[in-house]
Amino acid sequence: MKIVVFITQTQDTEARIKVDSSGNSIDTEGMKWIMNPYDEFAVEEAIKTKEAYGGEVVLITAGPQRASQALLQGLAMGADSAVHVSDEALGETVDSLVISKLVASELGKIEGVDLIFTGMKIIDEESVQVGIQIAEELGIPHLALVSKVINVKPDEKKLVCQKEIDGGSVSVEVPLPALITCPDAMNEPRYASVPNIMKAKRKPMKTVSLDDVDFGSLGIGRDAVGKSGAKIKTVSLEVPEVERKLRIIKGSDETTVKGDEIAESAKELVKLLRDDAKVI
Amino acid sequence: MSSEIWVVADIKADGQVRKVTFEVLSEARKKLGGPVCAVLLGSGVSEKASELASYGAEKIYVVDNTNLKDFNPDGYVKSLCELIKKHSPAVVLSGNTAFAEDYMPRVASGVGSGLAMDCVDIGMTDDGRLKIKRYSHSSRAISTQEFSGDGSAMIATVRPNSFKEEESAGAGQVVNEDTGVTDADIRIKVLEMKTKESDRPELTEAERVVSGGRGLASEENFNYIYDLADLLGAAAGATRAAVDAGYCPYDMQVGQTGKAVSPVLYVAVAISGSVQHFSGMGSSKVIVSINKDPEAPIFAKSDYGICGDLFQVLPPLTEELKKALSE
Repeated sequence: MKIVVFITQTQDTEARIKVDSSGNSIDTEGMKWIMNPYDEFAVEEAIKTKEAYGGEVVLITAGPQRASQALLQGLAMGADSAVHVSDEALGETVDSLVISKLVASELGKIEGVDLIFTGMKIIDEESVQVGIQIAEELGIPHLALVSKVINVKPDEKKLVCQKEIDGGSVSVEVPLPALITCPDAMNEPRYASVPNIMKAKRKPMKTVSLDDVDFGSLGIGRDAVGKSGAKIKTVSLEVPEVERKLRIIKGSDETTVKGDEIAESAKELVKLLRDDAKVI
Repeated sequence: MSSEIWVVADIKADGQVRKVTFEVLSEARKKLGGPVCAVLLGSGVSEKASELASYGAEKIYVVDNTNLKDFNPDGYVKSLCELIKKHSPAVVLSGNTAFAEDYMPRVASGVGSGLAMDCVDIGMTDDGRLKIKRYSHSSRAISTQEFSGDGSAMIATVRPNSFKEEESAGAGQVVNEDTGVTDADIRIKVLEMKTKESDRPELTEAERVVSGGRGLASEENFNYIYDLADLLGAAAGATRAAVDAGYCPYDMQVGQTGKAVSPVLYVAVAISGSVQHFSGMGSSKVIVSINKDPEAPIFAKSDYGICGDLFQVLPPLTEELKKALSE
């Protein structure tokens, strides 16, 4: 099996964030960059599949130079090699269509790909679309939000998966090659051991410059990469301070309500919901 | 490019039109100008055209094809791409449902369009470019974005419960279309579908949501959540931790991985309030939390709350609510 994982390096959204002086992007000064958390599940699933059926795992990303750190993390987890479509302009907000075309074009050069995994969402842009658009560019089917790979049939070139849908689940069969997007319920991503982190640095990493990309065949211009050529532009960005009323009823000792306080607190809360919030 | 604004109807498994479709039709009519038209794709859906007209659709493009059953993305992608290429609408909108998240990205690729997903506001610039607001960075930031106006259809999906649905009759002219979807187009085969009927409202469209966290401690205790939800006519939700612990099914998960909800009232029971959970419910109008940990981060993001043990607080709270609701 040849398995590819499309990963992205993202901002750590749990970190403190603020808007930069342009007013339309997040200040990245001192920003911690991480492998997109959902991509960790995708890498884990790829390695598990390789362990079960043999083959190799290739990582691919499109991003600025710093994104190679995310590739190294994936290699340390157990992937075999990596492809990095690298340009500093890819660090700006780029249309999902452009990223998917760049990645699909490099992916198309890898021979005999059976399966592609990627995370179900990129957390900084909150984008669920890039992976699915890669599948469209490659002309292969995709399955989003797969909770479990039930059965891989490499010989029949088929895959059976379980997918979560509203009100239940569905099991589906799809011909290979196919792309799968991974939620966090799928597995427990492994940690990279120190020796594996050392080994990762010696694994093959191919860097592709935008100068090597045949934009004509992608149907886009090189100026489509980066903020200025985007089909959708961010004109302003805010990190709003949400103002909540913070009317929390506590016990007399500033912790939990106890004894008679319990019934009183219930009464008071209902009164607040009715008279103050007017939601019941 | 025509000036038409399209709203693609979202149909539920039971054949009904999802409420978000009416919300988007209503808001598009008010905010976007241009004739608002609906697109109705599915199997055996033709009769739903009149409902779309009653929310303002001037025209309804209908593709009724048995190969569009079971919400298989392939047939929808092909159909919508064909229609967009044929009629060149200015804007294509739909609700941001699980199904739209699944197939709309392929449509945008197929017609070479920009795609803005999970928008909470829509509008037009003076020169006719779609302008939207959406959350990013685990819902901690909100961005205003504009399409560049390169002539391709401007495609966006809208978060349910962002707008009010308001009836207003449109001309409702039905245009039947055949996009030629055949068996051969359908690559994904459904082997088995397991769904459970529920009388509770759907999470994403409910006005009220009651959610439980790991503090519920068992599947059985989740009945506290279901009972309170039923009393309030609310949908029932959960945190990832509660889902992972096996207390409730995955489709109840609210948060970054699960569903994004925007109800009027969100009741968080035994939920500490992680960034990931907030990402899915932070836009709720009123947040109420019940937690026994006075330091729980959720209290700093709540309007009202009780610091107390849920097993002690919920019974009297339920009684008080019953009284208040019957008045």
